[in-house]
Amino acid sequence: MENDTLMKVENVSKLYQMGEVTIAAAKEVSLELYQGEFVVILGPSGSGKSTLLNILGGMDLPTEGKVFMEGEDVTGYNDRKLTIYRREKVGFVFQFYNLMANLTARENVELATEICKDALDIDEVLEAVGLGDRKEHFPAQMSGGEQQRVAIARAVAKNPALLLCDEPTGALDFKTGIKILTLLREINKKYNKTVIIITHNVPIGEMADRVIKMRSGEIIETKINKNPIHPEGIEW
Amino acid sequence: MKKLDVRLLRLIKNSKGQFISIAVMVILALTIYVSFSMVADNLNDSIFHYYDVTNFGDVFVEVVRIPKTAIDQLHRIEGVEVAQGRISSDVPLRVEDPNEKVRVRIVSLPQETEAINGLYTIEGRELQENPKTTVVLQQFSDARGIQLEDRITPYIAGREYPLDVVGIVGSPEYIYLMENEEALLPAPEKFGVIYVTEDFAQSALGYQGSYNEVMIKINEEYIHRIDSIVDEIEDELDRYGVRRIVKREDQLSHSMMMQEVEQLEMMATAITLLFLIVAAVIINVMLSRIVKNDRMSIGVMKALGYNNLSILGHYTKFSLLIGLVGSIIGIILSIPLSMAFTNMYILYMNIPMFQMKVYYTYFVYGILLTSAFCILSGLMGARSVLKILPADSMRPEAPKTGGRIWLERVKFIWNRISFSWKMVIRNILRNKRRALFLVMGIALTYAITMVPVFMSSVWNNLFMLQYGEFQTMQYNIDFAAPMNHNALRELSKVIEVDRIEPKAEVPFELRNGWKKKAVSIIGVPKDTEFYHFKTPTGESVDLPRNGIILVDRLASTLGVSTGDEIIIKNFMPDKEDQSIEVKGIVEQYLGTNAYMDIEAMNDLLGEKGVITGVLVDSRDKVVPKLQDVKNIRQVQSVEDMKNSFLEFMDMMIYSVGVMMLFGGILGFAIVYNVTIISISERIMEFSSLRVLGFDKKEIYKMVTRENGLMTFLGILLGMPLGYAMSVGMVSSLAMDMITIPVIINPSSYVITAIATMFFVTIAQLATIRKIYKLNFMDALKNRIS
Repeated sequence: MENDTLMKVENVSKLYQMGEVTIAAAKEVSLELYQGEFVVILGPSGSGKSTLLNILGGMDLPTEGKVFMEGEDVTGYNDRKLTIYRREKVGFVFQFYNLMANLTARENVELATEICKDALDIDEVLEAVGLGDRKEHFPAQMSGGEQQRVAIARAVAKNPALLLCDEPTGALDFKTGIKILTLLREINKKYNKTVIIITHNVPIGEMADRVIKMRSGEIIETKINKNPIHPEGIEW
Repeated sequence: MKKLDVRLLRLIKNSKGQFISIAVMVILALTIYVSFSMVADNLNDSIFHYYDVTNFGDVFVEVVRIPKTAIDQLHRIEGVEVAQGRISSDVPLRVEDPNEKVRVRIVSLPQETEAINGLYTIEGRELQENPKTTVVLQQFSDARGIQLEDRITPYIAGREYPLDVVGIVGSPEYIYLMENEEALLPAPEKFGVIYVTEDFAQSALGYQGSYNEVMIKINEEYIHRIDSIVDEIEDELDRYGVRRIVKREDQLSHSMMMQEVEQLEMMATAITLLFLIVAAVIINVMLSRIVKNDRMSIGVMKALGYNNLSILGHYTKFSLLIGLVGSIIGIILSIPLSMAFTNMYILYMNIPMFQMKVYYTYFVYGILLTSAFCILSGLMGARSVLKILPADSMRPEAPKTGGRIWLERVKFIWNRISFSWKMVIRNILRNKRRALFLVMGIALTYAITMVPVFMSSVWNNLFMLQYGEFQTMQYNIDFAAPMNHNALRELSKVIEVDRIEPKAEVPFELRNGWKKKAVSIIGVPKDTEFYHFKTPTGESVDLPRNGIILVDRLASTLGVSTGDEIIIKNFMPDKEDQSIEVKGIVEQYLGTNAYMDIEAMNDLLGEKGVITGVLVDSRDKVVPKLQDVKNIRQVQSVEDMKNSFLEFMDMMIYSVGVMMLFGGILGFAIVYNVTIISISERIMEFSSLRVLGFDKKEIYKMVTRENGLMTFLGILLGMPLGYAMSVGMVSSLAMDMITIPVIINPSSYVITAIATMFFVTIAQLATIRKIYKLNFMDALKNRIS
């Protein structure tokens, strides 16, 4: 598993100019992500984890350093190429689901797949996230957990190389949160997708193949779990 | 269907009130554009086709008397293709009611086979040899219910001549039937045209072997130098006493019709642009609001890999759809509207070959124009899509800075305002752009509504000034031929008069260098009590012993001012031209003429004591008593004129109503949309107020107060704007013979203000649902997503 490098991050820094002060949201971060890996990035708010996620997802460009996806330098991309990169390589799952309010569950997924080349079968994916019978419902008619499942289906159905999840359980209760984490792990196994979760919730790290801890824009620790536990064993 | 499009359609469904209100403006714009343009084209084409068929002349000359041989001589002038003579004279027509005054113009038909100004037979047959027969102009026969085989009786030089009607006709000369330039409105039941044989006209009117009108066709190749040909004709005919030379472009009916076509074209452009611009501004404001609300969704779209162009296109389609729906419905509606218009023209004007043709090019233009407007305003409104970064959009927007407003520093006022009014004023001043748009919109509504209100009082004002202040006689009596002062005494025996003044009204041509104008000079007594001359600035002017007074329109046509010398050219054969000093320039709304002292006028004519008519104040039954008096050509009662004006007013009400409806729709669309947008921008604020314990009514009251305050400001701003629009309207109606006084009655301001408030209230009521449906708990809960 470790031999198959998917992404490579080399000395990436992200600096913001605030008046006369320069703030570094990320400082010379380097890491590699492997095919089919399940990674949890841990860190308190302001640790730079969201910045890193945005850079990995092609939503933001680093001030310094390079990011390679399957050997290609993403940092040199222009706006058009970056858009295609997001379209084909990355699936996002957000803390607040961010579904289109006036589209049904199925339509929300279709919105993502109709601009992709090798999208998965929508109904199959919706079945896989456990929403086979809720396809025609609007977000307002669904619970938070269900909405997050739609969001995961939307990200997975694009058939991206990488699934980026920003606090996917942050807005959910414990039980529902565990179910979502179980689903993400299943997706990771079933489709052999690289899944990255960023969270401040330390126990979630126990289910990961690898845990990366961040603080003040720097990676302070990388831990490989030889035996990641099943999400249902997590407690917080 | 693309899922983005599905989303768009549902978005439209959710804001259908806004969609419809903007679409209605586009519909109106397009309906007016397409139908007015089509009718203008149809009218123009039909008129010129009619001219071709009836061989309408290019130059018309009125002379005192001209023999046939002299007319034939005109062919020697290069460019003159055909010249024909005819006799034309206005006489009374006998009708059942002796109090009713009806006049007809008796016109002889040339005997040539290719008659200039030929007639178009609508009913019956053409006029043949029989001198006891006549054909009647259609508008007149319709208005008076004259039918074939009826007998009508003109009264010529003291004798009745019964004539049998054998045909009803149309004439290119009288598409628009008016007695003369001084008449303000067509009155087809009071004035008509009948055509008779040349033999009859010559014998009854006393023109054996001669004519008093010459009609001329100019060869098409020479038409570009018509002015010099006209000069040559004038020189050639000078000795026959040229009263008037009229080119086709100045011919009364023709120039009225061309004005009509121009006005249609102008309205098509002006109203369409106004509505499209307002629609575009609303679309712009609305879309920028939607994009702002959709900030997070746009971020998601970008994260999913949608590019800027497709997202921008997504929102622009909203406005494009408004444009397309609006223009298609507008085009569909324009067809029945142009038919109704066409029917109206057929009813009021005489164009027998007028047809409704559909010009598909206007459909295409209309759709292109609307689409261009909508796409542009859509792009402008949605352009902030480009600036949204997907990463940033996931975070809630930073709260707007809520600094103090300038008014708060004016402690004296601020401290005296109640809390809820403070909120109202803050809201208005914090969103200046939107407030400005609303105020401007209301001002525009006010101005547009004001124009018809103003127009409906125009005629009354004009009449009151003309006959209440400038000219105060009750009757204006014209003699059939010039008489001497004895006529005054004789007339006083027939009717009891309170006051009687002589007048001498004679046509002359006035010249200043190359500028010239044929007008009547009216000679009145030095001590006239019926005429009150005033300068445009309101100072009174005394009739000078020597010299001449000009009506201001005439002075500007001739380019002269007080103290200048002008040339008076006498139409009478063998009279010398004279030079005279302009002693004053006076304001007069109806008629373009000049005034002199009657004695100076007689010196000019070279005769003593000549009068052509009298002005009278009398409580007697003047009209019936003078009905059969020989030598009286016409009796004009100011009261009758006023009544026919009032009748015309009824017709005006219709167009006033339509214009007001336009203003109303505009006002509704602006106020409704701005209010909806303002509510949607402030859902959070309202929800917080609800949580604090405000009830729905109180929140609604706050919104109403805001709109009320802005309506007040809008109306204030609308007053000068409305005045300016009325001035613009008047100058676009500028006519040769009439000046329309821009006097806006205080009541017009009030009526317009009430109408505007009514429109605003309707729009306000339409938005009440939005506040009452507002689920504040949901709004607060969903503040992130």
